[in-house]
Amino acid sequence: MARKQSTGADRARAGQVALSVPSTFAQYKTLLAKDLQQEFRTKEMLTSMGIYALLVLIVYGAALGQTAQATDVLQLSGGLLWALIVFTSLLGLNRSFNHEKEQGCMEGILLVPMDRSVIFLAKATSNLLFLLVVEVIAVPLFWFFFLTTAQPGPGFMLMAVPLAVGTVGMAGIGTLLSTITVNTRGKDVMLAVLFVPLIFPLLYACASPTTAVVVGAEGYLDVFTQSMALAGGYDVIMLLVSWVLYDFVISA
Amino acid sequence: MTNKPVKLPEAGQWPDKVAPWALLAGIVLSTLGFLMAFLYAGPVNGAAVDGVELIGGQMVANKLLLSQKIFYFHMPVALVSFCALAFACYYSVRFLATKNQRFDTCAKVCMEISLVFVICTMITGDLWERFEWGVWWTWEPRLTTYLILMLIVIAYFVLRNAIDEPERCGVYAAVIAIIAMVDVPICFMITRLIPSSVHPVVLREGGMSGDMGMTVAVCLAGLLLVGFALYRFRFRQVRLQERLQALKDEVEVLEERR
Amino acid sequence: MNPVLADIYSTVIPSMPFIIAAYALMWAVLLIYVFVSISGLKKTEKQIAVLEEAVAELKAE
Repeated sequence: MARKQSTGADRARAGQVALSVPSTFAQYKTLLAKDLQQEFRTKEMLTSMGIYALLVLIVYGAALGQTAQATDVLQLSGGLLWALIVFTSLLGLNRSFNHEKEQGCMEGILLVPMDRSVIFLAKATSNLLFLLVVEVIAVPLFWFFFLTTAQPGPGFMLMAVPLAVGTVGMAGIGTLLSTITVNTRGKDVMLAVLFVPLIFPLLYACASPTTAVVVGAEGYLDVFTQSMALAGGYDVIMLLVSWVLYDFVISA
Repeated sequence: MTNKPVKLPEAGQWPDKVAPWALLAGIVLSTLGFLMAFLYAGPVNGAAVDGVELIGGQMVANKLLLSQKIFYFHMPVALVSFCALAFACYYSVRFLATKNQRFDTCAKVCMEISLVFVICTMITGDLWERFEWGVWWTWEPRLTTYLILMLIVIAYFVLRNAIDEPERCGVYAAVIAIIAMVDVPICFMITRLIPSSVHPVVLREGGMSGDMGMTVAVCLAGLLLVGFALYRFRFRQVRLQERLQALKDEVEVLEERR
Repeated sequence: MNPVLADIYSTVIPSMPFIIAAYALMWAVLLIYVFVSISGLKKTEKQIAVLEEAVAELKAE
């Protein structure tokens, strides 16, 4: 300790300042690792999101138990799957900033002199990872409960593309919005009120290719590529806007 | 506009002098547009009938649609709502750049104006739709994106009500106003992006004839002026309230000091 | 009136209520907004009167 101080003083006398600033990527990795470690210890977010997804599936069971034909379920499946993802991500996004706020972690992060957008990227990535894990569990479950008797289209594995693109956009916008709503009264409702309309174009552009691929009707690839182009464009624009505006939101 | 630092929230620049005249001109022009829509612009042809009849020196073989007269206010009102949203976005950017409370008020009032005109668009569109399509609502791309736009504008005010600190409220609201702007081009372009939509598109249906174009232009000019006058009036009123609040705070300080 | 002419004008009368309602409701919405603004203005004026009294009291003492 004493030696360190003396070397620092020596350097200051010599007109040098020794500062080792970690690279932006290192900061990003640290922040992301913090979120993931917290999750691995408590498993709070994944369990609550997973159980919530399962419960929504059970509610669907009550609704879809009335349909007689498997083809009806196929037509509905894209939309139902996306409704499941939207509700589950709402739950996850609500929680993602609650810890930070309750345990005063956000103040600590904000004290570090670094680019604020790194916080956005790290937080969005961790939200994206949690959502993807939940989807990996929920989609097979959805198939298990409702689609085992139905005959999906030939290219139904392409479903992964709209799921991935949609989840990226949701994680991006959701991170910005949950940062906003964590400081408001009635934050859960507030997040839903802001999140659902802003996510809607993306939802629309992702649900239609999902349905098209699952049903596999004639010319489904045309619908697929067109909608995916729209969804991708919306993703890029929204992520850029959120990334730019995040600085203001987190500093306010 | 003055650049000197002011203690109280200021108000009353040149737009306040223009606003009454804008209101007058707006009322005159939109009334003129209303009359032109019914008396000057030609009727629009609907489905063909079997038979031809001579009306006013012209051969008519289609049903004449009166319901199309709603269009002369429906489209300008929608354009004014987009315009107000664009201004709200502009003032929000200015607010984020300067943190001047004045721009926050500007953005808020712009959003109110856009909400009023969005509701007007919804009402006129919905009644036309009820008559022509026979349904109150259909999940058609243009209608859906516009509904989403309305929900975002409403969410903007819900968010403002849920935050107590004025500074933070301004920043968050500005961010939402800027994000809301992303939906405006989508809503505008959606009938081109998804050509299967049932919503009529003027350009796709061969453009407007001269008399129709003239009527729409007059209505648009009138409603833009009305929108501007409403904005300025409301802005003046809200600004006055803020000045009063600042004065009250000062008087309280004086009372305490005594 | 011959049947062809009646057919040509067949949608005019039924569409009347919708057109009238569209224009009337539109003006109603605009008027409501104006009234909200005016009532806000009146409230502010009342508060100004209260403030004037407070200032007068301050001066008197």
